[in-house]
Amino acid sequence: MGRMAFVLRRLLMLVPVAVGVTIIVFFMIHLIPGDPARTILGIHATPRAVAILHRQWGLDRPLVSQYWLFMDRLLHGNLGQSLYYGVPATGLILGRLPATLWLVCYAAVLAVLVSVPLAMIAASRKDGIRDHVVRAVPLLGLGMPPFWVGILLIYALAIHVRWFPVSGYGTGFGGHLHAMFLPALTVAIALAPVVIRALRASMLTVLGAEYITTARSKGVPRSRLFLRHVLRNAVIPAVTVLGINIGFLIGGTVVIENVFAIPGIGQLMINSIFQRDFPVVQGVTLVFGVLVVLVNLLADLSYAALDPRVRFDR
Amino acid sequence: MTYHRFTTAKTVLAACALVVLAGCGSGGSAPSGGASGAGPVRGGNLIFAAVQDAQSMNNTTVFDNNSIWIFEQIFQTLYTVTDNGKGVKPWLATSYTISPDKKTYTFTLRKGVRFSTGRLMTSADVKFSIDQARKATQGWAFLDTAIASVDDPAPDTVVIHLKYPWAPLLADLSIFANGVVPANYGGQTEAQFYQHPVGTGPFMWDYWHKGQALKLVRNPYYWQKGLPYLNSITWTDVPNDNTRELQLKGGQAQIDQFPAWSTVGSLKTTPGVHMYLFPSTQTNYLAFNELRRPFQDVHVRRAISLAINRAALVKAVLFGNGKPANSLFPPQVPFYDPGTPGLQYNLAAARAEMAKSSVPHGFTTSILVPAGNSDYVTIATILQSELRPLGIKLNIVQLDPNTVNNDEQTLKYDMVLTLWTMDIPDPDELATFAVDPKSGARSFFTAYDNPAVVKDTHLAETTTDPAVRQRLYNFVQTQSANDAFMAFLYYSPYPYATTTNVHGFFVTPLGNMHMENVWLSKS
Repeated sequence: MGRMAFVLRRLLMLVPVAVGVTIIVFFMIHLIPGDPARTILGIHATPRAVAILHRQWGLDRPLVSQYWLFMDRLLHGNLGQSLYYGVPATGLILGRLPATLWLVCYAAVLAVLVSVPLAMIAASRKDGIRDHVVRAVPLLGLGMPPFWVGILLIYALAIHVRWFPVSGYGTGFGGHLHAMFLPALTVAIALAPVVIRALRASMLTVLGAEYITTARSKGVPRSRLFLRHVLRNAVIPAVTVLGINIGFLIGGTVVIENVFAIPGIGQLMINSIFQRDFPVVQGVTLVFGVLVVLVNLLADLSYAALDPRVRFDR
Repeated sequence: MTYHRFTTAKTVLAACALVVLAGCGSGGSAPSGGASGAGPVRGGNLIFAAVQDAQSMNNTTVFDNNSIWIFEQIFQTLYTVTDNGKGVKPWLATSYTISPDKKTYTFTLRKGVRFSTGRLMTSADVKFSIDQARKATQGWAFLDTAIASVDDPAPDTVVIHLKYPWAPLLADLSIFANGVVPANYGGQTEAQFYQHPVGTGPFMWDYWHKGQALKLVRNPYYWQKGLPYLNSITWTDVPNDNTRELQLKGGQAQIDQFPAWSTVGSLKTTPGVHMYLFPSTQTNYLAFNELRRPFQDVHVRRAISLAINRAALVKAVLFGNGKPANSLFPPQVPFYDPGTPGLQYNLAAARAEMAKSSVPHGFTTSILVPAGNSDYVTIATILQSELRPLGIKLNIVQLDPNTVNNDEQTLKYDMVLTLWTMDIPDPDELATFAVDPKSGARSFFTAYDNPAVVKDTHLAETTTDPAVRQRLYNFVQTQSANDAFMAFLYYSPYPYATTTNVHGFFVTPLGNMHMENVWLSKS
């Protein structure tokens, strides 16, 4: 019951988060200079043509009235019509969301697969050569701009040897796995250093604990010691770090989506801001807000899964 | 095996497994076709990497070039632009006659033309299409304002009645907005129709995944026998210049639209790549807002125009792939006057103009530039140093592109960089837009107003004698250059890179592509 109540409480938090996000984004995007009618009409934006579009889109109404209309539609699951494409914003966003989720999840998996073994290698020989190499080399990935890393990977693995496509999203599960490997690896290269350092630090703390000394003295094999005792107790801070970074990633994939021509919501957001496509900007921001809350919830739930001592009671 | 080696081995094995698993995905489809040199071959699926996604398939309202160049493969017009961009040739119509008063045009339609649904095209479809274009409240209706009515007296005859003699009529009819669609949208609403448009063109609708790809497939009922060669064309949305180039080199795309100017030189020498620079009607200008001092002063505008080294701009921005502009009109437009010298670089003359101006010691001003547009930032930076000898301090104001657009169109700027590409093979659209303050665009958003220039522009519309039109447009070009309402900067081509197995690819100066002529060889 404790866990259920915790989940429900966190899900209920989505409501004030969503309302807050809609208010801030709605008024910000409407108040910055620029007009979606002029974007669509281009140099043929006569005052009459602009006025017709404003009337068609309801942009000639007072801002507060436009906001209430938006909230009323939102309560019915309707995010409005894309001003640029003239199609429902909901469909547009839902059509692009899977690509971003694929990228984020794939990158997180790759980051974990790389980080856990490397952190274990580093922690097992503190201040040794392996430790120094594991701590120093991934920092290169942190320091290099992601778009540059992406282009290097494309040259190496898609042009010189055609193991992967240069860009795109692919079709079907296998196609996505194939096409998204390079972009996911690009993100993982930036994500892994932070996770490795956090995991290594907490492993070193756990390695100094008395129960580890006891386990060693009882003759527990080293691999079992690390996997069953050290890793499990050390992983929670790394989960926190990963959860926070994934939250940033959700909105921060736009550069990778641009380089690899992935039809995700990051790229949709940027294009919609430039086009002043208000309904899409509002919708995407709302989705970002909800996803960040859900990712943090998942991170919190994973603590209990990893550590039975964690309770959700107040 | 010690723990450390075991851990390392497991790590390596896991990584390899992941790479192998990821590698077991579907690959791209290779183009099919015969060996090069063997002539056109039927078949193949072409991938066209475009700079941005289309916006809409509504040919009567949309202004976005990427949408236009796609739906031109679906919709066709009575007449189409010639390859040199200076005239029109019969397309869905085979001929026309004109009444003695030049106000009635009678067109004979081509026989046997079918829509992609298999239905025969008739004059009722043509009448419906042109009437829809004329009444679009936002869009290209302004080009059809001379048309009083359209009749369909017989299935293969269309009659267009004009309000007054109108020289650009055939050019206006060649615009995509007057493309032929099924009458009454084939029983659908306008909105429904344009989600899955139907036309007489070489290709027909397949799908559009917005922000990702739009695909057209061969129209089995296309009227040009044996065409198109390709099975399909897929336009992919690839905004990053580097990515498009890499897709081309990696075989993931066969056409790269608008590679960066800095890469044109290297693409020309890249094996397996053909770099095209198609002559275009694109002209870049520096606009002055005559509602703001001191730009109402012709001497100031002339001084600035004379201080610009256009050859240096072409070298720095286009890497030499362009030509300094001398006229409001580009060379590919009918009635372009190569004899108009324009205001070319002459610092002494620029200083003399400043001395005669209302601000002989210079002034501080600003230029709006869209943030992230490296070409425009380069131009602005060069202008900053070129205007300094005149005592002009130029501040570069970088704003988001939508804001620059907005400020330009509401005349909230001092100077701004702008450009034009032709939509019809006639100078009328550009001339009216650029020099008539009552055109709706306030003379290209400059507030320029020279009644003599406006008068000759409108006279040229109603005069069908080419010699008279040439004389009138010569005056428009010369006088607008002397008035320096804009500084004409340079003409640039359309850059396209293709793989060497692409044949028959051609782009007219107006940007139209007849993709029915494109074929793929195996090598």
